[in-house]
Amino acid sequence: MIKVKSPRDFGAGLLFIVIGLGGFWFGRNLSVGVASRMGPGYFPMLLSGLIVAMGLLVAIKSLVFDGPSIEKPQFRPLFFVMLSMLSFGYLIERIGLALSVVTMIIIATFARRAKFKAIETIALAVGLAVFAVFVFIYGLGQSLPAWWGK
Amino acid sequence: MDLGFLNNLVDGFIAAGTLNNLLFCLIGCMLGTLIGVLPGIGPIPTIAMLLPATYGLGPLTSLIMLAGIYYGAQYGGSTTSILVNMPGEASSVVTCIDGHQMAKKGRAGAALGVAALGSFFAGCVGTIFIAAFGPPLAAFAQKFSSPEYFALMVLGLVTAVVMAHGSLVKAVVMILIGLLFGLIGTDVNTGVQRYTFGVEELWDGMDFLPMVIGMFGIVEIIKNLEGPELARQAMSTRVRDLWPSLQDFKDSWKSVVRGTGIGSILGIVPGGGAVLAAFAAYTVEKKVAKDPSRFGKGAIEGVAGPEAANNAAAQTSFIPLLTLGLPSNAIMALMMGAMMIQGIAPGSAVMQTRPDLFWGMVASMWIGNLMLVIINLPMIGIWVKLLSMPYRLLYPAIIMFCMIGIYSTSSSFVQIVLTAVFTGFGYLLLRLDCEPAPLILGFILGPLMEENLRRSMVLSRGDPMIFLSRPISASLLAMALIVVLLIVLPQFRTTREQAFVED
Repeated sequence: MIKVKSPRDFGAGLLFIVIGLGGFWFGRNLSVGVASRMGPGYFPMLLSGLIVAMGLLVAIKSLVFDGPSIEKPQFRPLFFVMLSMLSFGYLIERIGLALSVVTMIIIATFARRAKFKAIETIALAVGLAVFAVFVFIYGLGQSLPAWWGK
Repeated sequence: MDLGFLNNLVDGFIAAGTLNNLLFCLIGCMLGTLIGVLPGIGPIPTIAMLLPATYGLGPLTSLIMLAGIYYGAQYGGSTTSILVNMPGEASSVVTCIDGHQMAKKGRAGAALGVAALGSFFAGCVGTIFIAAFGPPLAAFAQKFSSPEYFALMVLGLVTAVVMAHGSLVKAVVMILIGLLFGLIGTDVNTGVQRYTFGVEELWDGMDFLPMVIGMFGIVEIIKNLEGPELARQAMSTRVRDLWPSLQDFKDSWKSVVRGTGIGSILGIVPGGGAVLAAFAAYTVEKKVAKDPSRFGKGAIEGVAGPEAANNAAAQTSFIPLLTLGLPSNAIMALMMGAMMIQGIAPGSAVMQTRPDLFWGMVASMWIGNLMLVIINLPMIGIWVKLLSMPYRLLYPAIIMFCMIGIYSTSSSFVQIVLTAVFTGFGYLLLRLDCEPAPLILGFILGPLMEENLRRSMVLSRGDPMIFLSRPISASLLAMALIVVLLIVLPQFRTTREQAFVED
């Protein structure tokens, strides 16, 4: 039975192999050409091949040498931070800068594992929204919609 | 020695010295310090976050502002190291060792003062260094054609791997992945689309802003949120007597000079830069000290040397970028990206075609350093206040700035989605112990490397010997080979591993 001795390296090796194979798969329609007349696929295939090879190396090494285990990921910060970012991108075209900032900040505060402080959070969200509208729209004159509809 | 560069420098000061440029230099330094002083945020995320703010400016002004942001971020990192023992970036790790001990003994003022003045001295020397060595190097690079450029990039990437933290193999793969990501978009030679997945925003290549902000800025926040609530207790002792005493000057001036020398040289080496310079300077100071046991207990030399070194290196690392078009580390890769957005291809041609740009930027480096001393010494109280601001209020604001920055430059939801994708990717890399900085380097160099490889192969009709039959490219590749051999040698390997754990 093969045992993974260095989980972090094993994971990294797998990730590299996946990326390299992805390079091959998604570039499968690119013509490679020959060295003197390289096609659009030449360099990508070369790189993908190297990445897969090195990934195999890292993965095999991880079966032989001991190494640190993977720290248990905490999904709460990752999830809420990403959600707050995406909410902003999705909402700004629809409800404007002011309200999308408020939404983004409120979602972002859930990324912390702590008791929800309603007043502080709302004050922060509104404060930053006002700041953003004044600085970015009125101050720097950037063409962002302040409210919905324009 | 030809002193003609002094004339050029004067022209540079005239170009950089317009009120508008000075203003943006000041804004850059202030913003850089403001973000850089926040614990755990180094120059890479700082520059990434503030990059959009420079897009609307003219080429010279935006570069001046960016350089200001970089120095500011670096300087802010030192302040944080000394006051809270939390380095925002690797090059300040060394400053923590003795700087924070000094602060604990109530000598924070002296430590900050020496750091500021040492950095300023180093900055002055670094500026002259660039002015003197830039033109000859650029003239030399005029002889380069595709095979030489390809060999140079190989050398640069190989040395960057050696200087990277952590596993060598992983650093190599990070570069390769970066190169691959760099190819996303329309192939310039054939017009064929590569890895665009039908997404219109990727046709012109992937923007590097979502990638950098996601992988560095946002991942940093997630990392901090996962950790225990930071008990960031800024030094309660009042920061006063910022001007170091006469004795402090006597104790530290030699270290500043040594640090400046070490930093200036290590800054030029591809893959080198501020981090390496600071570590090297600290080691040297410890070696030459009469009583090395004082180090780690608040030796002023341990602050002066590395601080001078990292600033000198921050300065001279612009040399390979501005003269050869080769970014020597991730920060320079960011600068290069910013230059390309402004429609400038960094390289030996810049000095000929846009002398105002080159010399203006060199001059602005000195101006930026002066501004840093001026704004930092009196404003230190404000930075200390900022340090004590709770993180729970800070991080939503940082996310907001990043998002508005990305959205305002592209007005596209896709870029925000890409940022989120790279946040996830960066988080994965963090958990798997892969340092993402080399990826940026590869990403910026990807298209250039491919182009030069292609052209070389067309020149030689597909014969790879072209790289060895041309003297310059052969010697560059030989140097790369020597570097590779050095890594394989066990003795050097242990030195390298030790160099990065001395904290």
